[in-house]
Amino acid sequence: MRPDVIRLYKTLHTWTGIVAGLALFVAFYAGAVTVFQEPLARWAAAPQATAPGVRPADMPALLAAIAGTRPAAAKEGITLHLPQHGDTSAWVGWHEHAGGRDSPEVNYHAWLDAEGAVQIRQQQPSDLTRFIDFIHQRAGLPEGFDAGEWLMGGISLLYALALISGVIVLLPTLVSDFFALRLGRNLKRFWLDAHNVAGIISLPFHIIMALTATVFLLHDPIYGLQDKLLHDGKLMSAWRQPAAPASSGPLPALLTPEALLQRLQEQAPGFSPRDMTWRTLGQPDASVWIGGHDDRFMNRGALGGFAIVSAYDGHLIRTDVMPGHASPGNALVASFFSLHFASFGGDTVRWGYFLLGLAGAFLFYSGNLLWVESRRKLTRRDQPPATQSRSTHLMAALTVGVALGCISGISLSIAGGKWLHGHVDDLNSWHRGIYYVVFLACAAWAQWRGAARSAIELLGFAALATLLIPLTSLLAWALPASGLWFHEEALGVDLTALAGAAALALMAWAAARRAARGPADSVWSLARP
Amino acid sequence: MARAKHPPIKRDWLGKSLAGLLLGFTLALALSGLAGLLRPGLDGAEAQLLMWMVPPVWVAVLGGVFMFPDGWRAWAWLSLANLVAWGLLTTCLHWG
Repeated sequence: MRPDVIRLYKTLHTWTGIVAGLALFVAFYAGAVTVFQEPLARWAAAPQATAPGVRPADMPALLAAIAGTRPAAAKEGITLHLPQHGDTSAWVGWHEHAGGRDSPEVNYHAWLDAEGAVQIRQQQPSDLTRFIDFIHQRAGLPEGFDAGEWLMGGISLLYALALISGVIVLLPTLVSDFFALRLGRNLKRFWLDAHNVAGIISLPFHIIMALTATVFLLHDPIYGLQDKLLHDGKLMSAWRQPAAPASSGPLPALLTPEALLQRLQEQAPGFSPRDMTWRTLGQPDASVWIGGHDDRFMNRGALGGFAIVSAYDGHLIRTDVMPGHASPGNALVASFFSLHFASFGGDTVRWGYFLLGLAGAFLFYSGNLLWVESRRKLTRRDQPPATQSRSTHLMAALTVGVALGCISGISLSIAGGKWLHGHVDDLNSWHRGIYYVVFLACAAWAQWRGAARSAIELLGFAALATLLIPLTSLLAWALPASGLWFHEEALGVDLTALAGAAALALMAWAAARRAARGPADSVWSLARP
Repeated sequence: MARAKHPPIKRDWLGKSLAGLLLGFTLALALSGLAGLLRPGLDGAEAQLLMWMVPPVWVAVLGGVFMFPDGWRAWAWLSLANLVAWGLLTTCLHWG
């Protein structure tokens, strides 16, 4: 390719990367954490939150009782959460939007007491993992910020552009760069090699993420325009399910959850159910959405798909979002979703995506470092060390503050939930408050202290914040009277956090060494103020 | 030394970006419409696949638009491509 074209794309790569890089760091770090949302939710769930449970055989009676007093719940759906990872019993809950669709949801939990009367209690399940997923989707922009979706749509386009231009820049030297990791005197060369290798290895992952993220963020306007221009406004009717045949006479009795699951087992042997949601109760088309996954197939959602069966006889009504049973077209769409959510191939793929997500975060971090290093003014011989420009100092401090603010904020939000449980009214607001306060404080700290000093301090802080996750569990295990709790099944979360804390501590040590011994004319040096 | 075959490429950031962003999007939309004509009727899965078609085409145009020698040529060629695609689509929709 012509060198002037390469140069143009190099400029394009630099500027799309620098504009989108920090938002992408947050999105990728939080996204990597979200891959393991199930164990993380388990880690955070207070032991008493799921009691009291319900016996499956009582379910038809309980459903009828709830539907009698809560018509909104009967229509929208009442969910039976099957016992998972050490739960003692299944439990029933639903949510309502008291003030219309956009109002915050209120969660309820119901059971039958000893006399067979329905008991309903408002509850507040931890939405920690949902919040981390939100950080992932909006790069930590505040909730209720309407332009956030458009803004992130723009970021996803910049991401795609950075990806294409990065590949074009790398093409002429692709093979030689891939096998090069020059760890020598020229540290910029080393960072560039590391950036290139991380980019090439995870290129398929990034192509998937750039395209799926663009779809997730911009599908509403695209559907809207396609409906108007191409489908004659028939889009909604293409999605509407055929109406249930009108039936006269009394409705048949509801099947018990056990009978429904047995019927499903006969029809779809590989499907592992997680929860069951009864919808449109009291109607002839009452259905049960059995949420679950089948790791032999691509699952459409992050947690799997749905088998949708009749509430009366358990036959499969719809299979369009069911792994392994969807039509070829729906299966193809499901595979796109699945490639984003890592919902195929079980934990092996999840670990792969977790590492690729962290590698993605590293890609954007190293990209910003390269921007800083490329603007470095060299010290001439026999001259005092060159002073670096204000913009490189600013960008270095911004990169350190945002990246480590995000890591520390997420870690403290996770660990803090356990300490605050039972001591505050609205724990979910605290999860948010902790993240935003820590994030902003770290970003401000980095600007105040400068990149060199704050990199050491904030890496140490992030290591301690992340270490607090396994320490909390250790304390809960050693001192059950502390009011903290420890779930053995979520030990993986503690071990992963421990490894993360160790890695951050190692980086803090390396940053301190560089600040003390590295070249004095660098923004990372502490040699001069 | 032979004279350079091509004039040096112009950057024209604004012109090329807007051409890729706007005309790339409308072109992707038209191509998704043409793909929809391959099968009569519209079901839920097809509607989703047609939507999924748009971002890859759009992003490919947006990434490639900077290869044009200047912004005017980007606008001219992409306008022509749009004209052909939308013309074909409108023709098929009305007389197909």
